[in-house]
Amino acid sequence: MENQISDASDFTHSRIPKLSQLDTLLRCHICKDFLKVPVLTPCGHTFCSLCIREYISVQAKCPLCLTELRESMLRSEFLVSEIVESYKVVRDDLLDILKQRKESPESDPDSSIIEVGSDPEDSLIVNDNQSDDTSDDIKILQSGKPISLKRIYTDITSSSLRTAPRSKYFKTNIPMKRSSTASRIDSILKKPVELVPCPICEKYFPVKELERTHLDECLTLQSLDNKLTPLTKTAEKDEVVSKGSTVIPPNKSLLSRSLWRMKPREEEGEKEEKVSFVDKYINSTTDIEHQRLPKLDFPSMTITQIKQKLSNLGLSTTGTKQNMMARYNYYEILWNSNFCDSLNPVNVSELKRQLLNWEASRKVHNGTNLSTSIGNLMTLRGTHKQNDYKKLLDNFKTDKFNRKEWCILFRKQFRRLIKDAKKGQTSRTLNADHIQEFDIEEQLTDPDLSNDLFDKLDKTPQNPQNP
Amino acid sequence: MSTKRISKELRDIERDPPTSCSAGPVGDDLYHWQASIMGPPDSPYAGGVFFLSIHFPTDYPFKPPKIAFTTKIYHPNINANGNICLDILKDQWSPALTLSKVLLSICSLLTDANPDDPLVPEIAHIYKTDRPKYETTAREWTKKYAV
Repeated sequence: MENQISDASDFTHSRIPKLSQLDTLLRCHICKDFLKVPVLTPCGHTFCSLCIREYISVQAKCPLCLTELRESMLRSEFLVSEIVESYKVVRDDLLDILKQRKESPESDPDSSIIEVGSDPEDSLIVNDNQSDDTSDDIKILQSGKPISLKRIYTDITSSSLRTAPRSKYFKTNIPMKRSSTASRIDSILKKPVELVPCPICEKYFPVKELERTHLDECLTLQSLDNKLTPLTKTAEKDEVVSKGSTVIPPNKSLLSRSLWRMKPREEEGEKEEKVSFVDKYINSTTDIEHQRLPKLDFPSMTITQIKQKLSNLGLSTTGTKQNMMARYNYYEILWNSNFCDSLNPVNVSELKRQLLNWEASRKVHNGTNLSTSIGNLMTLRGTHKQNDYKKLLDNFKTDKFNRKEWCILFRKQFRRLIKDAKKGQTSRTLNADHIQEFDIEEQLTDPDLSNDLFDKLDKTPQNPQNP
Repeated sequence: MSTKRISKELRDIERDPPTSCSAGPVGDDLYHWQASIMGPPDSPYAGGVFFLSIHFPTDYPFKPPKIAFTTKIYHPNINANGNICLDILKDQWSPALTLSKVLLSICSLLTDANPDDPLVPEIAHIYKTDRPKYETTAREWTKKYAV
């Protein structure tokens, strides 16, 4: 997920296009990715800690409102951090469900009951498998409308049926105090008696018996033995909840549950479930063990002093003075972002690894200057043109720049750009496909770009217009 | 970070292209783009198509992209080398800006020149003192170089 380019516009064609706003709000305005270790500025704007610290080292102002900003003014936002993290966990599923519906409303057996959602909250409740948010439960139950409940069930049913293999079970979450409501719903949505397996001893029991007596017994026995399975551990967190916990096959008697949670599909999902973002937020504290790294006044320092500083921190002392300064400065950003802002600080050796990565990527960038990357392009176009291009580019910012040659060299691409711009001017089409119009053979060398390209070629019909 | 951010912008521009503009990388180099801008209808550049070359620095978005016109244009804020005098490309740059927004700003610069901060003082002078003459020349240049 981290490496994929996700975008708020992913929701534009889903059932709830307005979710793209939420998606946008949870992103950093510098890297345009989801906020990672978010920090708040005094002017009320939020950015990733690393992004804003790096930017402040270049320009000491807020990117959004341009007011003055210093690193010491930044405050971490643990709540936003956990909101983003919990959103990231459900985002793919959410998108899946919302897109699936839009594409095939007919195939849904319960589509007659479900109003095609306009209320994002419903889906959010359903998908929020991380929290035991009782206030949500109460809200739903208090409404006392079986139809709305049913709507939620069917939402869950169809999504879970699709996402989970049949053999997987789903955990329900029925507090004792609500059993009267649950049974009322049972009677409304009459269901035959079915046998379901107990999550602890794995024997089969009728649903009611399992809920009312067996689970309690089983749990008591378990806690006496002090050997808790992962599943009961989760349930134990909330005593009320644990009493009602039961597991039922996905395609049976789902409607008899007042509220339940989707069990993550895979083993890794199970691990994730144990980390509650709510708990993490509630228990959040700042790291007091590690002191903030100070800014260094490099101009007044000798090389030996800088080397001394670096080696005290266990950093490499190779390279020029400039290299060492850059190394310290970036390490300081990493360190402060990690130990001052992050809810889950990594250890020092991980920071050093990140620093090495950063230095390596800088070297790559400095190494592949224009001529090499353009060189690749030109090799594809035919080597005889390579020199032309370099020569043209060298004169790009001078009066010697040869416009005509340049236009001839990029004639093909220019023509396409014109076509696109014209298209945009006459009618603002939804699908911009200008990349498709670039030379395909050139794009193929870059796997990311070419994938993108093929996606588009599949989706968008060839443009009939010609310039 | 820059590669990821530029890829994101590419996707953004594909999905929601700014009006009358288009842009995309030159070949396989994500850091070098070309763009086209249609002359705004309410300006002397109407009917022309202007090309721009765009270079993203490796520390993008902390530093602004370098943008220059490759098509000759008669404008008080754009010189003979195609350099553009636009605050958001210099000291007013913010990493929250995107290429799409910058292209739109360049479009509006074509409609409303800023003669008080000129790159070509001679054109700025004509713009201020003899507006019809400026418009005629701009239209001529557009016809000559951009159509």
